[in-house]
Amino acid sequence: MEQTKLAAVDSRLLSHSIVNRVFVTIGVYLIAIVLVVLGIVLQLAGAINNFLTAQNMLNIIDAVSMLGIVAVGMAFVTYSGHYADLSVPTTMAMTGIVAVEMLKFGFVVAVLSALAVGFVVGLINAIAVGKFRANPIIWTLAVNYMSLGVIRLVWVNKQIYPDMTASTVRASEMFDAIFRLRFFDKIALPVVMMIILVIVLQFVMRRTKFGVQLKMTGAARTPARFSGINVELMIAIAFIICALTATVGGLAVTSLNKVGAWYNGEGYEFKAVTAVVIGGVTLAGGRGSIIGVLGGVLVIGILNNILTLLGVGTFSQDMIRGAIFIIVVFVNARSLRKMGRDYE
Amino acid sequence: MSDRQRVLALQMKNVTKQFPGTVAVDQVDFDVFAGEVHALVGENGAGKSTLMKMLAGSYDDYEGEIFIGENKVDLHYPAIAKANGIQMIYQELSMAMPISIAENVLVGKLPVTKLGLLDKKKTVEDTKKALERVGLGQLDSFMAIEEISQHEAQLVEIAKALWNEPCILVMDEPTSALSREEVELLFEIIDRLRNEGLAIVYISHHLPEVFRIADRVTVLRDGKKIATKNVAEVSRQEVVQMMVGKSVAEFYRHESHATDKECLRVENLTRIGFFHEVSFSAYEGEVLGIGGLSGAGRSELGRALVGLDEVDYGSVFLRGKRLKIRNMSSAMARGIAYLTENRKTEGLALRLTLQENVLVSLVPWHTRGGVYKQSLGVPKLHELIQELSIIPPDPERTMNNLSGGNQQKVLLAKWMAIEPRVLILDEPTRGVDIGAKSIIHQSIERLAKAGHTIILISSDLPELVALSSRILIMRQGRIIKEMQKEQSSEELVLLAANGEGV
Amino acid sequence: MNNQKRTRIGREKTLVFIDRNRIFLLFGVVFLFMAIFGPRFMTAYNLTTIMRTTAMNATAAIGFTMILIIAQLDLSIGTIITFAGVVGLGLKEYIGYGGSVPIAILAGCGIGLINGLLVTKAKISSFIVTLGMLTILQGAIYTITGGNSISLSSPDAFAVSDWLSTMMIPLITPRVIITLVLVAAFTVFLRFTRIGRNFYMVGGNRQTAWLAGINTDLYTIMTFVISGFTAAVGGVLFAMEGAAATLNLGDTSLMYVISAVIIGGTAMSGGKGGVLKSFFAILTLDVLYNGIILFGLGNEVKIFIAGIILAAVVLYEAYTRYKHDKIVGQRSELMKEVDQLKEKLRASRRKIAG
Repeated sequence: MEQTKLAAVDSRLLSHSIVNRVFVTIGVYLIAIVLVVLGIVLQLAGAINNFLTAQNMLNIIDAVSMLGIVAVGMAFVTYSGHYADLSVPTTMAMTGIVAVEMLKFGFVVAVLSALAVGFVVGLINAIAVGKFRANPIIWTLAVNYMSLGVIRLVWVNKQIYPDMTASTVRASEMFDAIFRLRFFDKIALPVVMMIILVIVLQFVMRRTKFGVQLKMTGAARTPARFSGINVELMIAIAFIICALTATVGGLAVTSLNKVGAWYNGEGYEFKAVTAVVIGGVTLAGGRGSIIGVLGGVLVIGILNNILTLLGVGTFSQDMIRGAIFIIVVFVNARSLRKMGRDYE
Repeated sequence: MSDRQRVLALQMKNVTKQFPGTVAVDQVDFDVFAGEVHALVGENGAGKSTLMKMLAGSYDDYEGEIFIGENKVDLHYPAIAKANGIQMIYQELSMAMPISIAENVLVGKLPVTKLGLLDKKKTVEDTKKALERVGLGQLDSFMAIEEISQHEAQLVEIAKALWNEPCILVMDEPTSALSREEVELLFEIIDRLRNEGLAIVYISHHLPEVFRIADRVTVLRDGKKIATKNVAEVSRQEVVQMMVGKSVAEFYRHESHATDKECLRVENLTRIGFFHEVSFSAYEGEVLGIGGLSGAGRSELGRALVGLDEVDYGSVFLRGKRLKIRNMSSAMARGIAYLTENRKTEGLALRLTLQENVLVSLVPWHTRGGVYKQSLGVPKLHELIQELSIIPPDPERTMNNLSGGNQQKVLLAKWMAIEPRVLILDEPTRGVDIGAKSIIHQSIERLAKAGHTIILISSDLPELVALSSRILIMRQGRIIKEMQKEQSSEELVLLAANGEGV
Repeated sequence: MNNQKRTRIGREKTLVFIDRNRIFLLFGVVFLFMAIFGPRFMTAYNLTTIMRTTAMNATAAIGFTMILIIAQLDLSIGTIITFAGVVGLGLKEYIGYGGSVPIAILAGCGIGLINGLLVTKAKISSFIVTLGMLTILQGAIYTITGGNSISLSSPDAFAVSDWLSTMMIPLITPRVIITLVLVAAFTVFLRFTRIGRNFYMVGGNRQTAWLAGINTDLYTIMTFVISGFTAAVGGVLFAMEGAAATLNLGDTSLMYVISAVIIGGTAMSGGKGGVLKSFFAILTLDVLYNGIILFGLGNEVKIFIAGIILAAVVLYEAYTRYKHDKIVGQRSELMKEVDQLKEKLRASRRKIAG
């Protein structure tokens, strides 16, 4: 039985991890390129306008930058074998509100407080899921609601405005700048942050002790434990990274909207997980790369852009994204099972 | 008595079952009379479980003939086996824990009234009837399985099997988790069932029990039937001899490289409920074998020594210094490693590559400032691949594409990579082909020669006897005997493991 | 030997009784507390309000209870509730309630069917399937409604709405009756029929169920269909009574229902629990939340507490599992020596100390 498997040529190819990994990552970017080509075709056919303009391309990148920031953190949670962190939306909103509130003490304090709050949320998730092995989906959902409650409790339905809370005009300007600052007049700060995060986190995932041990934890938790890895710690760090990137993303979104409110960040969790899964980080854990996630984010961005240009409503886009999510997971599950490994 | 025994309930003639690479059951004849308890014994890998699975209807491709009573049957599906009156009782409970006794026993066949609703009265009646056959008539039928003791649950399992009115009952290691008293109760029930005319196949390692309860015993070894004897006409020593025999590949006895420098000393190590007051010393260059039946607590001991499990009290000394091992990574840092017996579920990450699996143990060492330099481990990896002849020698190959033997070699490589002072091996050649086995043995000897201390936990008697300089026997959580190399033999080890000659 | 033959006696019996029926006792305690200390709690208006809020989540909880019993998850119930409400009201203009309501309910069943098929045939885990379905439905809802809630103002819509909210018996409106009927029907079904009991076995030990001849795939699909059905019924009824379907109709339902069902005694691990317990759990939570508002603490506190309750429940379940895993595999004979060993342990500790 095993011999016949070994004899099959294509299973041999698939068994090479490097080939497989590169293939998947390239695959995502290929899809992105295909989509761009599709856009060009549609433009030439007159179905859409202004696709292939520099402005449009910039729009796409701008639009996905915040998603990208959140997705690369979410990827660590998925990579660890814990599917997703559904508390991201309220983490984004809450840290945004805290930042705006703290602007009265200056910009730096505001940002630091936001990060502190994000860290605490990540820590709470880390303990419940990492140490006590609570179901990550249900737990982070619960945390999401709890945070929502906290927000509503403390700020009721108030929406607070940075220009009003800021202690100095300078602080308020700096906050606005989070979203609006452009390098060379073209590249927004969130985009730069996303790129930096991608580079740094890719390095962390691939080349650090943490990343390597996290990979094993995600691929096979018990063997990882039996190899001396402190799996609880690995999972904890993954959730904290996710919460921190959610904080950064939250600051950007709050800056964009120029208001601290409970709805900043709505919908980001599903979009992020979809991007992560499209990008090759399978839900089973221990597989994929941050570069792939970037590709996934681009795919979503380009697709959304084309659909918008075609006049498809935002909500229909949501539907399509949900369907893509299920399809990608399905395809992933199929191919993993073909490689002989059962996927849960 | 003899009249009743004349009716053959089960007859297996010349049955053979092959797997790619091995013949698990090789032309075996096996029969059981109604009203008889026929024990099936043999070492791990002798073919007992395969033979049993054949009876359960798990294989549709066996050779040979099987007769139930007068009828020839093709046991190709579990449903067919059941329909022919065969009921299996496995070690793991096949019941649902949160569900009541009644519903587990009567599953799928709950009695209903004319209205289609459950007939509670009849349910209780039927359940009581079923439970009475195993002496549990007083139990509340609506208690959940998780509320009763392990022993009671096992009896319920039997009651469930009996409810299907079988003519053949197959029991696999029924006593491994039971206390002495509970074993006696079980035997009372088996006696009763025997007198009622049931044919019982009793699979076990525990010879004292076999001799207590069985009428006949069949010994399997390497897939072949060695002999079938009346229990009254054979001695335990003879049975052991048949079980062990002359192994197919004669492993010559490796010489001992034990020094007198103490490396590891364990004093009164206790984990309540798993092993009690274990004390021993292990020396540099020594291969210290630990023998015993499964469930004796050997793996638990191994895991405790590396911090994977907690210890309630006792002390461990490494080279004279007292150790406080809190977790696996600190054990590894001190130079103690443990190779698990379950390579697929605890040993290897099957979705990752060979390289990743081997080097994972070295990650803490090859990290500089948080950054892991994989390249540092590559020379060692290639060295190990070569030493252990891992095929295919491709670091990027994912583990689930390797054969069992090669997977095991990778697991061993992982632990050899950190060059531990003390290496605890738990069933290092289980499910491994002959070639890989001998390579692994050579590596073990080489490690011992180089001065490392090896603790070898193994149920493979030839291996244990051939490699060990000393053997400790564990039974029910305690060390009961120590044997020097010269005084050891497979028979003596097996006897001691069963509590004989201690 | 006598300790082997036992049944539950005396104190043990009481403890088990309490554990098994804890939700009913909890309800009693909470209700009494509110009745005594809650301002305006015992008014007809207040109690009716409670019953009305309960009715929507209670129906969805029926299906969700069954989902947990077979050890699966359905995260899409919230959106099914909203979807059914939207479809039920939205189509009324064209085909009247007589047409739109059955369609809405069928839609719920259909969604459940898709969920069930994906889980059993495509073998994707239920959380992923229902998560994806949730997103798709959200998009669908917004697309159909164009982002606006639906609110009906025709006379017959109000007629139905009024009828649904008139109290036939004190405190019980027709909608509540429908809910209670469903709860009763499913309670009887799960407790007292053979097919009903089979669901428990599917969740308790799938392998065993299969070997006993139960078609586990079929039961799984049935459960998802029922979940979709009950969620749709809940959503449609609630929308009809208010003659309005807002886009966040079912948003908080998922959390309410999960916490309630687990508190009620149905574990995520499957094989145990019941519809009646879930109903009382929802009732308990609603009384609690109602009380919070009555005490003047505001909606925000309510949401926060709801989140905390869910978190606590989830942690509790995880912790019990954690403790249980630690003692698996203990040898009973060795356990008998425990007292002697503990004495030795104490002795050695005294030696070190002294």
